[in-house]
Amino acid sequence: MAASFASAAPSAVVADDERLMREQIIDRLKEAWPELLIVGEASNGREAIAMVQSLHPDIVFLDISMPGMDGIETARALAGRAHVVFVTAHDQYAISAFEHGAIDYLLKPAEPERVALTCQRLRERLKQAPDPMSEVLEQLSQRLGAGDLKRREYMRWVQASVGANIRMIPTSEILFFRAEDKYTLVKTRTFEALIRKPIKELIEELDPDEFWQIHRSTVVRVDAVEQVSRDFRGHQIVHVRGSDEKLEVSRTFNHLFKQM
Amino acid sequence: MNTDRPNPGGGSTAARGGPPRSASQGTLREVWDGIVVVWWRFFDWLAVVSWKKLLLVSLLGLILTAMLSSVGSSGHRVSEAPKWFFLLIVTSVIIKVVAGGKRRAEVTANEATKQAETEQLERTVLEARMEALQAQIEPHFLFNTLASIDQLIQTDPPRASKMQQSLIRYLRSAMPQMREGRRPTLGQQVNLCSAFLEIMAVRMEGRLQTVMSVPEGLKSAVFPSMMLQTLVENAIKHGLEPQPEGGKLEISAEVADGQLAVHVLDTGVGFMPTAEAGVGLANVRERLQALYKGRAELIITVPPAGGTCATIKVPYEIVPAPADPTTV
Repeated sequence: MAASFASAAPSAVVADDERLMREQIIDRLKEAWPELLIVGEASNGREAIAMVQSLHPDIVFLDISMPGMDGIETARALAGRAHVVFVTAHDQYAISAFEHGAIDYLLKPAEPERVALTCQRLRERLKQAPDPMSEVLEQLSQRLGAGDLKRREYMRWVQASVGANIRMIPTSEILFFRAEDKYTLVKTRTFEALIRKPIKELIEELDPDEFWQIHRSTVVRVDAVEQVSRDFRGHQIVHVRGSDEKLEVSRTFNHLFKQM
Repeated sequence: MNTDRPNPGGGSTAARGGPPRSASQGTLREVWDGIVVVWWRFFDWLAVVSWKKLLLVSLLGLILTAMLSSVGSSGHRVSEAPKWFFLLIVTSVIIKVVAGGKRRAEVTANEATKQAETEQLERTVLEARMEALQAQIEPHFLFNTLASIDQLIQTDPPRASKMQQSLIRYLRSAMPQMREGRRPTLGQQVNLCSAFLEIMAVRMEGRLQTVMSVPEGLKSAVFPSMMLQTLVENAIKHGLEPQPEGGKLEISAEVADGQLAVHVLDTGVGFMPTAEAGVGLANVRERLQALYKGRAELIITVPPAGGTCATIKVPYEIVPAPADPTTV
């Protein structure tokens, strides 16, 4: 592969999910660098990787926002198999990251002068092997928010059957869950539904900062607790905001509502 | 509070201007104003206070005046104070019985009005702030569209012109300063979305098919601004764009039980239960709550065929014909 860098005409793959944008980059490249061979056009990250593997281009132009696998992920997967130039319409963070790093970028719509400059830089860079740029890419993906993926994901939606449809209830709307026979009752301010998922599984998947289990059969949204009182037996009773329901706290969970 | 009585500001004589009065006359007037204010305060208190409390205060006052008078008087003559105080209590009881109920109703009504006004104001401010947040035009969308137009100018000028017109139509209704002073209708919101979808259809080419099935008759119904747009953007961004083969997006509306329901249905990748509930959707929910207090809702369902269906339900209301033709 190393031999191809020095020999013959350089080649490139252009990846963007919008055909017009691919066309534009290719048109401008033809003007700025007539010898450059465009060997392939990809409309998403996966296609771009497949093309790099089969066609061995010297350069890949990658749009940052593509469906499925975005430009940054694609560049990571390519890890030094080709020189990468990112293409983006607007992304302040990404641009500042490029300016500090070794990665080149083009802004859409690409101006001919700017494309010419990139081609100039690429001619220089082609003399060396491509840099895997792992560190810069790591930084970039963090800036673009992809770093959040490593955080534990909690359930944000509960699916409940309503007739033939499945209704998606955001957990932020849910006041409490309560076990009822084989089902679990989901209660929101305006709505209630039964789901099959038992309390035991729910508590594993819900964000513990948002939901507390207060009884073997009850999980309540912390924000929805209006006040906690005691009944005549001395049991703690949770009053739920926006609902006249009262939920009993079992002894095991008494510590949750200790006085401050 | 100051419906039928002098301004409790007190020394308002000076502000009223007029010929300067003698010093003693001025002082007299101030003292009188002071008495009037104190009297009305006392009357209000009397009206609102419970019988139990009035009895307690009377008893305490009676004891106190009796004690004070017995200490103060050096045996020569018994003070008249307890007698006068007793008279005051009797008068108070009579006043409370005769006029207390009406006054109490007035006082509580005034307070309720004030609270309602504050709440209304708070809601309006909140809604305005959230609307401004939702109305932001995404820079990514704008720049990508301009880049596409730039390319079409060179390769297909008639299509470039059409796309630019769609963009102008979109900006006209999406820019907040262009929307001021109007009661948004479903028709306007549908127009905005169809301009947006025309642009996206050019950019995504075969990957996006759109179906508009909003009955003509419902286009004059009141519908909050930018909410439909948020649902459409979500459907494209999270439903159709991540799907390499794309899909179909349909906007439909119907009225049932006095509720206007507007649906945005897509055949995209569908919802992940762990997907972060988008800021856009949360914003729509909060705005509906601020605008309609529980009489409106946003529902997200998964249709049997897959994809996502987002529905906004609001009370069905027709925009009244404008009195001034320039405002609509």
